[in-house]
Amino acid sequence: MAEDKKYKFLNPVGTYMPVKTFPLAPRLDRLDGKEIWISITGEPDFTIPLERRLKMDYPNVNWKVKKTYWFVQDPLTDEEMKTADGLIQGICW
Amino acid sequence: MPYIADLEKAGIPTVLVDFEDQESMVKQEALVNGMPHVRYVHASRTIPGPADVDRILKDIIDGLVRPLTPDEKKAGEYYPPQPRVIFEGTYDEAHEFFSRTQYVPRPLYAPVSVYTDGLPIVLPTEERVAAMLKGTSHRPEEMITYQSDRVVGFGGEVKKRDLVRFQPLKRTATVEKVATIAVMSGCRPEYLPVVLAIAESGCPTGTTVYNNQWMCASGPIVKEIGMNAGCGMLGPGNPANSTIGRAYQLMAVNLGGAVPGINRMSSIGSPVNRGGMCFAEYEEGLPPGWKGLNEEHGYNKTDSVVMVMGTEGGMDGAQFSPGGYRALQKSGHGGIARRLGVKGQPGPHNFLDYVLPGVWAGGREGARTFIMVHEMARHLYELGFKSKDEVYEYIWKKGLEPLSEYRKRSWVDLTTNGWMGKEPISGKPWKDLPDDYMVSVAGARPNQNCIIVCGSDEEVCVQMTGGPRGGWGAFSPVYSVDAWR
Repeated sequence: MAEDKKYKFLNPVGTYMPVKTFPLAPRLDRLDGKEIWISITGEPDFTIPLERRLKMDYPNVNWKVKKTYWFVQDPLTDEEMKTADGLIQGICW
Repeated sequence: MPYIADLEKAGIPTVLVDFEDQESMVKQEALVNGMPHVRYVHASRTIPGPADVDRILKDIIDGLVRPLTPDEKKAGEYYPPQPRVIFEGTYDEAHEFFSRTQYVPRPLYAPVSVYTDGLPIVLPTEERVAAMLKGTSHRPEEMITYQSDRVVGFGGEVKKRDLVRFQPLKRTATVEKVATIAVMSGCRPEYLPVVLAIAESGCPTGTTVYNNQWMCASGPIVKEIGMNAGCGMLGPGNPANSTIGRAYQLMAVNLGGAVPGINRMSSIGSPVNRGGMCFAEYEEGLPPGWKGLNEEHGYNKTDSVVMVMGTEGGMDGAQFSPGGYRALQKSGHGGIARRLGVKGQPGPHNFLDYVLPGVWAGGREGARTFIMVHEMARHLYELGFKSKDEVYEYIWKKGLEPLSEYRKRSWVDLTTNGWMGKEPISGKPWKDLPDDYMVSVAGARPNQNCIIVCGSDEEVCVQMTGGPRGGWGAFSPVYSVDAWR
């Protein structure tokens, strides 16, 4: 093969399917009286004091808790989603 | 992340707490799940929890109440250009192109190859890819789909013909893309059905800990393409073993988009993944009545399959002093015989009694895949184990220990869901069981363990953490090669 001969090289990179991107949900105008879930996924060294501090520092929030050691969340049910005003997820993504 | 995206779409504001070194991964996950501006706060890996909460509590609350920016209010579409031909030029120019690296900051501070595993590749010209495609009857433009109904990672179910999404970026691939990568890996066309079967796995790269990705072929394909099922089969030298193993890693890089430090977070990585590891089962070495991997997973003896494993944990082995194993089995001489209390008694003796006590030392709980030479499998057969299942049962029972000891292990906090779940054998809550309740550290069921017989002669047994029939991901990781011929 001549060193200067040109070739076409095929693309090995996987194909993205089109992804629709969405805006974030509107944020809360206040915390008092809101129903906010703490969704705990492991890391108890952090999540136990987090839950305690949230409840202590923001006593007028209706705090609710979902807890698993697994790194896949215990999700809100459809019914729970109807009244949920917010959710803190930790520690995972 | 799909869950968080669903909540935000439903109008529920969220804040994530993650670790700083995972920021790039979180951003990528957010994008491919359609929520590119997810709010997150970094916890510390080293600050004690109460102090860390003090540090970031206000930021967490702020994420729920701070008004959205204009960017955070935007909707749109992510669909980057994806040309079929990625480069035109001479070989030298293409070599430079495919050797490109990207600099990855924390936690790497080092360059990582964009298209390769860090080593030079065979350049994927159109002509070479066309030649590779002669190794399958599938059309180049056909999408990679599941060839059977199956359970995938973390209990997800997929149906035959569902699109395979390559993790972590959820991308897809055609047969031609897989053939392109097979060329890059150095495969021959006759290997392509195996590579396509492996592609069906989605080529995941595991979590943050110590994930090994490896594959084992079983059935007629092993001889057809000249795979090494004998001496050195886990090591270098055999073209089919080496290039097929490499193809997995190049698919993870190119199809999945896996990048160390960005979304491939295995903390110290694994040497198993550096070159890619594929090997083969030595069918002729199976004792009478022992099933091969194909038959163990519902296929026929004449079916060719490949088992694709992503095991969290290490590899450890039992290598006996030269002649020590043989001395045990021939005449009951040597240290192993003394340990087993069979001095002077000719074999066969159960070497598992020698090996197993150390297998589940701290941090090593769970099922195992035992890779053993045919002679050792034959000794188990002569001892009365007329099937692999009987060996699995024996191994599992050897793993029984009191709950009081089981509680002192690491992974069990996770696998018992913080002891809030139920023990699978008794069906009772973990918290209700007495300290002397016996739990096996060798998997939830005996047949979560696995034996692969290889064809070498020096007596060695290697244990890979994890097995193919259960565990965390509830994988069913055996794929038909014949479906991709």
